[in-house]
Amino acid sequence: MAYTITDSCIGCGMCKLVCPVEAIEGQPRKDHRILAPRCIDCGACGRICPQEAVKDPSGHVCQRIRLRRRWPKPRISELACIGCTVCIQSCPTSCLGLTAPGGSVESVRQAMLVSPEACIGCGICATDCPVAAIEMVAPEPF
Amino acid sequence: MELGCTGKILVVDLTTGGIQTQTVADAVYENFLSGLGLGAWYLYHNIEPHADPLGPQNVLGFVAGFLTGSGSLFSGRWLVVGKSPLTGCWGEANAGGSFAPAIKQCGFDAIFFSGISPRPVYLFADGNRAELRDATDIWGLDAGATEARLDAMHPGRKRPRIACIGPAGERQSLIAGVVHDGGRLAARAGLGAVMGAKRLKALALAGSQRIKVAHRPEVLRLSRDVSAMVQHQPPFVSGKVAAYLGRLVRALPTQMETDGLIYKTILRKWGTVGMNQMSIEMGDAPVQNWRGTHHDFDLDTSSRLAPDVFTRPVVAKYFCYSCPLGCGALVEGAPGKPRTHRPEYETVMALGPLCMNADAESIFQMNEMLNQAGMDSISAGATIAFAMECYEHGLITRADTDGLALTWGNSAAMVALIDRMIRREGIGDLLADGSRMAARRIGAGSERFAIHAGGQELPMHDSRFDPGFALHYTVEPAPGRHTVGSLLYYEMFQLWRQIETLPDPSRFYLKRSKYDTDVEKARMAAACSQFVNLINAAGICLFGAFLGVHRLPVFQWLDAVGGRPRSPVDYLRIGVNIQTVRQAFNFRQGIDPLAVRVSDRALGRPPQSRGANEGRSVAVEKLVEEYFGQFDWDRHTGRPRDSDLKKIGL
Ligand code: SF4
Ligand code: SF4
Repeated sequence: MAYTITDSCIGCGMCKLVCPVEAIEGQPRKDHRILAPRCIDCGACGRICPQEAVKDPSGHVCQRIRLRRRWPKPRISELACIGCTVCIQSCPTSCLGLTAPGGSVESVRQAMLVSPEACIGCGICATDCPVAAIEMVAPEPF
Repeated sequence: MELGCTGKILVVDLTTGGIQTQTVADAVYENFLSGLGLGAWYLYHNIEPHADPLGPQNVLGFVAGFLTGSGSLFSGRWLVVGKSPLTGCWGEANAGGSFAPAIKQCGFDAIFFSGISPRPVYLFADGNRAELRDATDIWGLDAGATEARLDAMHPGRKRPRIACIGPAGERQSLIAGVVHDGGRLAARAGLGAVMGAKRLKALALAGSQRIKVAHRPEVLRLSRDVSAMVQHQPPFVSGKVAAYLGRLVRALPTQMETDGLIYKTILRKWGTVGMNQMSIEMGDAPVQNWRGTHHDFDLDTSSRLAPDVFTRPVVAKYFCYSCPLGCGALVEGAPGKPRTHRPEYETVMALGPLCMNADAESIFQMNEMLNQAGMDSISAGATIAFAMECYEHGLITRADTDGLALTWGNSAAMVALIDRMIRREGIGDLLADGSRMAARRIGAGSERFAIHAGGQELPMHDSRFDPGFALHYTVEPAPGRHTVGSLLYYEMFQLWRQIETLPDPSRFYLKRSKYDTDVEKARMAAACSQFVNLINAAGICLFGAFLGVHRLPVFQWLDAVGGRPRSPVDYLRIGVNIQTVRQAFNFRQGIDPLAVRVSDRALGRPPQSRGANEGRSVAVEKLVEEYFGQFDWDRHTGRPRDSDLKKIGL
């Protein structure tokens, strides 16, 4: 499974910049291409492409979300998170971390979004969380 | 192999700098799963007979398990495998943290290194590239500093996960391990020395590839149940109560089948140090180089090493990848020093009662020194205990130690000695390769004070207390390990619940029945070996497995991830195959399994005259043939049959 780029591509290179795994190749102003074996289905290219020239693995054209701050972000449930660190390791942009140590033998450090600006809204953390403690939420319009 | 695994391995020739990605045939995964099994299969084929463990022919592998990254829990363990320079046998060491998923996220199930690099290098991989890069600048650094430096050198979007050696591995100390995450060690078998000999300083892995799973919702459903069970923590008892429980176990002539839930509760509350006093009291922890008892290290003395002493400075629990339990902890560092990992039970016992040391402060300090240098704390503590006994008998004198008085419990001298062992200075150089090597250098009958199995210092579980350990220390292809089996582990795994043919031990039994040498003991031991091989192929943590197969759904996870259901018996077959290939590996390397022996003292020869294990001796030899028979190997020699090897593609 992988995302694909259609021939509406104008070669602006935005997708290539946002892709966390260098899966996109293409020269400026030339058609870009996604290298399927590298693609991790994060969908960031689809959210960023101004031409809406990206299709998801099931063939649907991805909708652009113009403002990056409106991209969905993980919301981590304090009640559910067990601190297993799976999401931290899964995140392709390493933007999750653990809360500050609480200073007790009982204190479980939970996952938190430490670099929201680096988050690409892929939801891989939410998919991978073994106890479904993460929900992807689009920030409110303002 | 599409599901659960990547189907690929990375093969690095350090001599030429050649790096290759290889595809592994499905049949290999069928027979050996992945992780330990994949490592065993590769090393069997790729290490020449009679290879020098520190030479270019040895192959060092970093393997991740089948379940790692699949959504299952307790599946964050990785292993280092190679021919052990400490024992000459099959060598493996196991660690947690987050390095296991990092291997698979680079697109590999395992990474293998052969040859010797002309200059210090490290491997960088991120799923798109794998490169050997110059490590001259970081050679010589402590493990923590190495990780910090490599982290800073790779400011990419994905932070690298790092495994490295410290100065002990660089100096090829035969008790050196591989370090990850500031002090988690794949410690045993001396594989850090192999890495040092290869001039491979570190691996830095920064990939983001995904693992395909057949039935993800099912995997997650199972995980959620496990998590709920682990989170539930019955209000437990204080550390003192645990100690008195140990006393009770010692005093009673009977014993009760142990349920792993008790261990879970202790581990969640205190981590492994929860066992500190209890183990000494019941006779599980060896005292004074295995000659002492709880009389020599009484409850008052051990209270200075009580679980609470090691939990007081804790600032947070430490969880390995995908762990719901979190037995680790970070503790406040010494003034002006960063936080460190809390010492583990094995470390506290090896540097504590084994050396008659009750100074907890010194144990914190030595633990951190060893972690940063990348030296195995079990072997280091056991080697110091050996040196202390030699000193007592005048086989080492103050002139040899450059003034260190190696008297029992002299914690200041121990700290100084560890520093010298790491630096390989003076007496430290003599001891840096473990007790068997040291005994060879000292001579004069000192071998009788070196307590080991096939050259590997024994862990802190007394084979006179649980004779199951004695058998595994002796017969495993990697001798002297406490992480495979024992009577206790068999009780906790509860395999008989899913495999009817396996013996169901009675709930209550006479303690002395543990020392009977009936066939059932061999069957139980073989089942432990098979099951632990399987979980090491899956990447599952032993502490998770202690919950029992009725609580930790290892088989169900494997079914759901791989999408090819098998029966528990068939899964254990994989464990048999892994045991067989490692046994065959040892034969190829010229090892006679019958020559691998546990030191007399640890078998109760002569038996102790007092203490919890008074009068106990273990007739381990009687069980060896039966154990070999369980794997269908030649009962007298332990050699696997050619036909069996052929069946699994060897
Ligand atoms: S959605 Fe989650 S995994 Fe994806 S970039 Fe954001 S934090 Fe990382
Ligand atoms: S994967 Fe889920 S449970 Fe684990 S740390 Fe992240 S949010 Fe918490």
